[in-house]
Amino acid sequence: MAKEGSQEPVIQLQRLTKLFGHGDATTVALDNLDLVIQKGEFVAIMGPSGCGKTTLLNLLGLLDTPTHGEYLLDGKSAEDLSERQRAKVRRNQIGFIFQSFNLLNRMNIIENVTLPLTYKGMRRMKRLTKASELLKTFGLQEREYYMPNQMSGGQLQRVAIARALVNNPSIILADEPTGNLDTKSSEIIMKELSEIHQQGNTIIMVTHNPDLTVWADRIIHMVDGRIDRDSKYPQLPEDENAKRPLNHYSRSTVRTTKGNS
Amino acid sequence: MIGNHIRIALSSLRASKVRTALTTLGIIIGVTAITLVLALGEGAKQAVGQQINKRGSDVITVRPGKVERNEDGKITGYNLTAAIGATTITESDLRSVQDVPGVSKAAPIMLITGSVRDGETRAKSSAIVATSPALKDVANLELRYGQFLTDKTNRQTAIIGNELAVELYGTENALGRQLTLRNQPFTIIGILKKVDHAAIVTGFDYNKSAFVSLDAGKSFNQGIAQIQEISVIPADQKQSDQVAERIENVLLRNHDGEEDFAVIRSDEAVQIANSIFRLLISITTAIASISLIVGGIGIMNIMLVNVTERTREIGIRKAIGATNGSILSQFLIEAMLMSLTGGIIGIALAYLIAIFLSGFVGYLPALSAPILLIAFSVSLFVGIIFGIFPALRAARKDPIQALRQLP
Repeated sequence: MAKEGSQEPVIQLQRLTKLFGHGDATTVALDNLDLVIQKGEFVAIMGPSGCGKTTLLNLLGLLDTPTHGEYLLDGKSAEDLSERQRAKVRRNQIGFIFQSFNLLNRMNIIENVTLPLTYKGMRRMKRLTKASELLKTFGLQEREYYMPNQMSGGQLQRVAIARALVNNPSIILADEPTGNLDTKSSEIIMKELSEIHQQGNTIIMVTHNPDLTVWADRIIHMVDGRIDRDSKYPQLPEDENAKRPLNHYSRSTVRTTKGNS
Repeated sequence: MIGNHIRIALSSLRASKVRTALTTLGIIIGVTAITLVLALGEGAKQAVGQQINKRGSDVITVRPGKVERNEDGKITGYNLTAAIGATTITESDLRSVQDVPGVSKAAPIMLITGSVRDGETRAKSSAIVATSPALKDVANLELRYGQFLTDKTNRQTAIIGNELAVELYGTENALGRQLTLRNQPFTIIGILKKVDHAAIVTGFDYNKSAFVSLDAGKSFNQGIAQIQEISVIPADQKQSDQVAERIENVLLRNHDGEEDFAVIRSDEAVQIANSIFRLLISITTAIASISLIVGGIGIMNIMLVNVTERTREIGIRKAIGATNGSILSQFLIEAMLMSLTGGIIGIALAYLIAIFLSGFVGYLPALSAPILLIAFSVSLFVGIIFGIFPALRAARKDPIQALRQLP
């Protein structure tokens, strides 16, 4: 279930600023941003192109460093982390989901899913078992040894989600996760994300599509590197069958379509 | 992790087979060249050492020129110009050496330039050697037919090596045949059995030579004996060092204290040959190394292309938790796999070529463990040296920029 009420800040940004370029050509991507995200929140970040959504996601994912301001992840300052420690945090605490899936085409599906575990140093058999179990929950067990070019967009994104989850991260960062998918596949992916959220994971999703925000319990609108609006949906009752306005697919429908998308 | 990097490297190398094969070819050529040069050089060194030892480890050789020795009496240098200058050893030196106490036999060697013919048939690369009957014992020569020179044999008689006999007469049994040496007729009174060693320093081939008496040799040289070498065997092998010292003292007296000759023991001759071979091997290895450097540059070039092509992959790997070190290892292992594969194939190829060449060069090229180890280490070293720059470049890629590259 969503743990909005747990009130444990997993992310705290204080006057976070990111500038690109030098001198006259300086662009302000993030402008003195203050933001607190609690553990278990599903946050949708919206806004026009160039408003700083992806820059924010990159900073949260420790792929980039801020020009000014402070970023506390699980209460610890990210500023003090070495490059090696940042990689370790990305490996253990953060799961990335990209618009273009970003699977490695040279590797088969199960190898793609095991990749974060490889960098963790887990033994081959153990990581294959773990990845296989995870792929089973996504209905992709029979396609474990397929190559990425043999699968549909929806399936590839589910593999990417499995890869993001394989290390049991505390935060999932999704950058336009349905951007390359048709409506039906988008619904399935969002349903998956919603389920992950229900299990207590924090999800931060960047999207252009207002329809997808209905899956989130908090929507942040950004304009010119600042937060323009920050609104929250009322907290859901502790009922697994509670439906979002656009969530017209039933759980059983999702299960049957998984293998075919 | 390393196992995983090797698997990833192998899969990416397999993904572009032609490119990998061509890159590896550069290393194959380099390693083959170096291995072959080392094997041929070492083989030649060993062959010469064996020939010298076969002739007898107790032989003392007197040569023109000067050797440098350190305080312990070990040879530190040899004046090579003496080998091409006029000899300083005279017939009177020969007599003095023969009279030195402890000397069993002393044989002069006077090499004479000139044609060896039977009628119109001219022998190729044969030598005329004027010597004394003592050479038979000094050089362990055995006769296939007839006899060797004696004190009583006629000046116009000759003994020939078995290969020379076959070359000129089509048979080893050329006893009694006429031979023309520098346009003078000689009668063949003996044919040697095959000899599998060469003269220590003068290096002529016994099997292709014609041997005449020193008097006959002098007649070709306006009555003067131009002795290039005196080979001596001591009466007691254990006394070899003392005999050599005595010979040196006697000759110093003959030469008015001028040390323009060298008294060299067999083991020292091996040492001189080794030092010459070491120099030659070093020079040729340095030249062969150029091809390996070119191969290494090929690896670097292809790895740089790989890094550029796989920038997005680097970004993805970093996003899911790869450290800079992991990326560095991945690309470095890829370069090392290419150079090691090239190295192993190169060594195998060098081995095959060496077997093939042994039929031409007359000795077995040495492919000893140290040479294989050198070749293997060199290929590994090339992989590291030329792979490190592209690997560092990959490791330092900014993940955000890398992820922006189109798939």
